[in-house]
Amino acid sequence: MSYLIASNLDEVISSLRDGSGKARVVAGATDLYLQDLPYGLVDLSALPETTVIEEKDGFVKLGAAVTHTAAASSPLVLSRARALAEGCETIGSLQIRNIGTIGGNVVNAAPAADAAVALIGLGAEAVIIDIEGNRRQESVENLYWAYNRSVVDSTREVMLSLQFKPCLGGEGSAFTRFAARRALALPMVNASARVKLENGLVKEARLVAAPVNPAPTRLLKTEELIIGRSINEETISMVEKAAAEEVEVRDSLLRCSARYRLHLVGVLVSRALKTAADRALDPGKAGE
Amino acid sequence: MILKTPEKNTHQYGKVEGTGYQSPEVWSKVTGKAVYGIDLAMPGMLHGKILRSPHPHARIKKVDTTAAKALPGVRAVLTGAELENRPFGIAVEDELPLAVDSVRYIGDEVAAVAAVDLRTAERAIKAIKVEYEELPAVYDPSEALQVGAPQLHDNFPGNVAWQREMERGSSDAVFAGADLVVEENFTIPAINATYLEPIACVAVDDPYTGITLHTALQSPDAVRNIVAKALNYPLSKVNINGPVMGGGFGGRVYGNLKVYILSALLAINSGSPVKIQLTREEEFTAGRPMIAAAIKMKMAVKSDGTILGREADIITDNGAYSGQAPWVSKTLSERNDSVYRIPSIKTRVRLAYTNKIPTGQYRAYGNQAANFAAESLIDMAAKKLGLDPLEMRLKNCVREGDITVHGLKIGKCGLSECLQAAAREIGWDHKKTGRGYGLSVAIHANGSLVFDKKFRGASALARLELDGRVTLFSGEQDYGQGTHAAFAQIAARALDVNPSQVTVESKETKTAPFSTGALAMRQTTVGGKAIQLAAEDLREKIFKAAAELAGEPVTMGNGVLYSITGQNLELAEIAYHYHNTTSGLSLTGEGKFVPEESDYDESGYGNISVAYSYAAHAVEVEVDKTTGALTINRLVAAHDSGRIVNHLTSRGQVYGGVAQGIGMSCFEGYLFDEGRVANASLVDYKIPTALDLPEIKPLFIEVEDPAGPYGSKGLGEIVMVPVLGAVANAAADAAGVWITDLPLTAEKIYQAMAGWECEI
Repeated sequence: MSYLIASNLDEVISSLRDGSGKARVVAGATDLYLQDLPYGLVDLSALPETTVIEEKDGFVKLGAAVTHTAAASSPLVLSRARALAEGCETIGSLQIRNIGTIGGNVVNAAPAADAAVALIGLGAEAVIIDIEGNRRQESVENLYWAYNRSVVDSTREVMLSLQFKPCLGGEGSAFTRFAARRALALPMVNASARVKLENGLVKEARLVAAPVNPAPTRLLKTEELIIGRSINEETISMVEKAAAEEVEVRDSLLRCSARYRLHLVGVLVSRALKTAADRALDPGKAGE
Repeated sequence: MILKTPEKNTHQYGKVEGTGYQSPEVWSKVTGKAVYGIDLAMPGMLHGKILRSPHPHARIKKVDTTAAKALPGVRAVLTGAELENRPFGIAVEDELPLAVDSVRYIGDEVAAVAAVDLRTAERAIKAIKVEYEELPAVYDPSEALQVGAPQLHDNFPGNVAWQREMERGSSDAVFAGADLVVEENFTIPAINATYLEPIACVAVDDPYTGITLHTALQSPDAVRNIVAKALNYPLSKVNINGPVMGGGFGGRVYGNLKVYILSALLAINSGSPVKIQLTREEEFTAGRPMIAAAIKMKMAVKSDGTILGREADIITDNGAYSGQAPWVSKTLSERNDSVYRIPSIKTRVRLAYTNKIPTGQYRAYGNQAANFAAESLIDMAAKKLGLDPLEMRLKNCVREGDITVHGLKIGKCGLSECLQAAAREIGWDHKKTGRGYGLSVAIHANGSLVFDKKFRGASALARLELDGRVTLFSGEQDYGQGTHAAFAQIAARALDVNPSQVTVESKETKTAPFSTGALAMRQTTVGGKAIQLAAEDLREKIFKAAAELAGEPVTMGNGVLYSITGQNLELAEIAYHYHNTTSGLSLTGEGKFVPEESDYDESGYGNISVAYSYAAHAVEVEVDKTTGALTINRLVAAHDSGRIVNHLTSRGQVYGGVAQGIGMSCFEGYLFDEGRVANASLVDYKIPTALDLPEIKPLFIEVEDPAGPYGSKGLGEIVMVPVLGAVANAAADAAGVWITDLPLTAEKIYQAMAGWECEI
């Protein structure tokens, strides 16, 4: 095994090319440590552009190697994309959050990755470059190939950054999770919401729940159902029901029964929606 | 170069009361210098690995080790068929070092290998070919007891590993005349002790000294006896030398006997030192968790809350081999009966063999499992009678002078004071709305006689060193619970010196006095009493030698002796005087504590311990009605453990015991899938993190008990006991429903609140 801390993008690309499938990109490596490491590893976390957090050209942009701790404590993320801060602050333990990255959270492709669930709720896109030098942008929700497997091939592709539109006037986001304990536990269910209100009515909504599929899942029917409605008790209980009806889950001896998980999907999605709407109505609450 | 540092002398000098004395060994741990079992390495050391059964129950048809033996670097390969294979065990001799004819659980030891490195040993294990014929298996203990169930051991027909029926008083009459009978079924899963350091053992065989096992154990002397017998070695040719222990919590009283015996056999057969270290997965799948229990319990009460009687039908899950399960089942089935004035009891307990992981013990020996059932029933009864659960407990709890239904003699006892203090501190009279409150009480013996009726006490030596310091020789082990710090303080008090002048030596079985071990909460009371007696004996000998040296009578203060004419004599001077006049002997005090009064009859009735400790816990919780999530806000732990020797380590015991109690209440428990452990890692077997724990408030009700040293008693196991009942009662108070199946997960609470049929 070799480990290269790349100092620029060219070095990353050429190392992957030289590795011809036997070298792969790594950022925080917190998940990779749990696996056998047959590869040459190319660490991109020293590239200046991969740790940037900025608002530019109408987008919040985060480098792929931004750590969970950095994202969770960034004033920009807290005010413009609270869901991401909330997702990042619950991952693993403090030590994991100090090393693990949001790009890694997406590419690792775990079904209920907290940062990824928040990013998909926010409508984030990933900027990816391959070893031929082709750049492309793909929405994060389309980056799941299979269970624990990303579309991004880390032996020939590099995720450079993630970007999404900031939650500005009338918009809010939120993330919720439920786990067997308060740290170091995969969620039984996590959820995120982004909502845009106009005159108190829902104009746009994105609702995400996991783990109900190999990928965090948009609840498209529930989203559609709430367009044009105000977020009141009736809507919330409607969402609770609709969200649970929209997904299929299985019993898990280690986590919980399917029935309870469905119940949690409803509760967590509606909680995320309610909080996101509160933040949309009162921008002062965005940072709370 | 050694830098001069001024000696810190901030501790209350030679006093037991109120000190925060910190044993210097703590520093070797926090600075990473302590050498644990997993750190050990020896010149020429080989690495051992165990081949385990993949089947829950199967006949071994053939074991072919040819390919494994041919691998370069492999030094020894053992199979059951090649060994003398003497049966061994703790309560029951039902184990062999390696399986011969059949395997009885997934993880059963089939073969063992020693090789030059771990990777080679793992390859060799994989190269062993075993042909099995699968047999029907049974996983549920009540099914195992039924006629026609697959049988595990020929000499234990019906899969009954142990059973007991007892009746004291006339239960039927009591229940017939009761105003109220409450009855419920409770289930408690198997629990892993989850000590941080997996078990590791380096065995060294030497033609002159015999076998030395370098491994950390709570009861090295007990393990030494079993290993000597299993190896057919003379006892004096087996020595256990303990490195620093990375946690025990009862799980290392006997640790993992297979590991010790197999590492010894591999060392004997290879001629080299052999280290076997369990992986965390092996700890979970082939370690020795505490037995799971199903408790059907009913209680008869009068309308004023007076308890009239209790009946219990208990089935405990032994797993494939017995370990300590009979003894744990015994404590589980009776100790809780003695915390209240219960005139009659009727109990049946059956320990069933199943094709699952064998069992051992955990802090509190099943007393905490029964606490969950017994204390839930108290609150169920109080609710039905419209009584305050605090008043009902105060009405019934034992007091000084009582003799309990099992014959325990209640000596000094602050139980009702513990109850009142815990209730006051939690705000029992000013409960907040939206919160749930629960209470629970406990009694636990200080060194019970269940291990060996003939051997009931402890002994120790106290030696004055030539530099004036004191060394205590004791077989009692310290694995972080603070025993040795307490011993230093007890001896310091007897000798009127600073505890930092006292060192405790307990490392090797061949030199340390014999000890039953760090179990049954016996060390402070029984071991500590022996220390006190040894130190007092030494003190007398010092006086005698000093008077001889001074030529006149002497008195002592602050570690210095004064003669009546005003001569000062340092301890070192006296030590040298004795050394010179005896040509090299040391002044040595002997302490032997032999509690005469403890005994029990054939039915188990009698005063089984020299003293008992008491506790009452109070808990405040909240339940999220939409998810069932339980948050424990505060826990007050009021304890009567006599005079507290060391408040610093005592608080540590309370924090740790409460954390483990909350783990067992709300998080932990083995999950099985067709006999296979489904949560065999610390990822899936969830113990609480710091974030999951409440504010913990220890309160010490210091009722001095003359049974122990300077009025002190044990405070180890008991801390965990009341947590379970108190948390269960508080959760029920908040949720409005009872959960009778541990752990109390959010899902179970929500299901009960929503009225779902139980799905898991």
